[in-house]
Amino acid sequence: MATPVSVLRLPKGPDPNSRGFDPKSPRFIALCRTSIPTSAGSEADVEQLPKEQHARSVLRESFLRCLLSVTNKKVQFHMYERVKVEATFGASDIDVMNFQVSDLHTPIGVQKEALIRCQDVISFSFDA
Amino acid sequence: MAMRQTPLTCSGHTRPVVDLAFSGITPYGYFLISACKDGKPMLRQGDTGDWIGTFLGHKGAVWGATLNTDATKAATAAADFTAKVWDAVSGDEVLTLAHKHIVKTVTFTQDSNCLLTAGNDKLLRIYDLSNPEAAPLEIAGHTSAIKKALWCNNDKQILSAADDKTIRLWDRSSMEEVKTLTFDTSVSSMEYVADGEILVITYGKTIAFYNALSLDLIKTVEAPAPINSASLHPEKDFFVAGGEDFKLYKFDYSTKEELESYKGHFGPVHCVRFSPDGELYASGSEDGTLRLWQTAVGKTYGLWKCVLPEDLGAENSEQMYTLAPEIKA
Repeated sequence: MATPVSVLRLPKGPDPNSRGFDPKSPRFIALCRTSIPTSAGSEADVEQLPKEQHARSVLRESFLRCLLSVTNKKVQFHMYERVKVEATFGASDIDVMNFQVSDLHTPIGVQKEALIRCQDVISFSFDA
Repeated sequence: MAMRQTPLTCSGHTRPVVDLAFSGITPYGYFLISACKDGKPMLRQGDTGDWIGTFLGHKGAVWGATLNTDATKAATAAADFTAKVWDAVSGDEVLTLAHKHIVKTVTFTQDSNCLLTAGNDKLLRIYDLSNPEAAPLEIAGHTSAIKKALWCNNDKQILSAADDKTIRLWDRSSMEEVKTLTFDTSVSSMEYVADGEILVITYGKTIAFYNALSLDLIKTVEAPAPINSASLHPEKDFFVAGGEDFKLYKFDYSTKEELESYKGHFGPVHCVRFSPDGELYASGSEDGTLRLWQTAVGKTYGLWKCVLPEDLGAENSEQMYTLAPEIKA
């Protein structure tokens, strides 16, 4: 009877929490063009690096503070297919793939708790 | 001792896999993209099937997917009436090309500068990717939905297969129809092999091989069941085919002899393609999986490991295992 061919392991499946394209993979590091010059090549301007790092951290901090300030506020989401829905913002996940909201007003009723898929959102607005 | 084929199953899709394509061989290996009705095409490492990333953005079933030769760009065709171009390294969407109906097929030219799309609006469209805002060139002629469109003859000509039971050869510069092949039934798939200018067509239970330049018939081979897709090995010694009976068939190209058949899928096979080095072939099925099959069963390649009888029982064999045999052939 024929012996089945052995395998080292099974192919790796998708990561449920991310869309993949690992930025630490050799291919990504070698091929991904970046808009931030000091990330791009080895000819990094030594003076540029701290400036860019500062800019990056300022931007990141203001983004995170923005998310903090939206918490528990009434928010209006503008989504594809001309969808405009109102909800109370809860939280975002780490990759900004999903937003947790409460009291989502939909044409078929109010959803007490819901997850909004970020890729479906065009924009959202709130009163600070 | 005879070895039994162990297919490697790539899971992740939640609906039927309808199209797949390999890239060329790059310094990082070669890659595989799969189109799925769940709207989320995936990129995988070609020799292992390991998932690399999912292209998120389409809002409908993805009917066609392709990679450029160096796997830096991907393109997809979907039921949401768009074709999209993606950065295949970062996974980011680069371009959305709006169409007037479901888009079924996309393909890059060899220099990745132009994209050919086609679908249910019966038109072939050529987009200049360096000038995507410009209106595409449109070629009309087919009288029903186009299923597949390919560049051939060094990107100077286009081949298209449609539900109007024809395959047409078009000249890119004149945008005129050069030749038409008419069949009694709809063609289920088309593959173009640049080296040797061979066109592989499937319809009914037939796998037919044509000269891609003249559209002269080279040969036809009959399979035991209706075939949805076939692929010719780069060295043109074998071809593989899969279809409605869920099995993969391997044939000798010169003698037309059926060499092997493999069970494994739990649904009809929609697409099958050889890898660019010919060492494996991948199949996509209604069952939502992709499977990788060895061309030379038992050879050490990718995740497959050749284990000689004297190695079994040795220390290093603890790292390996044989998969539980699936439904007995």
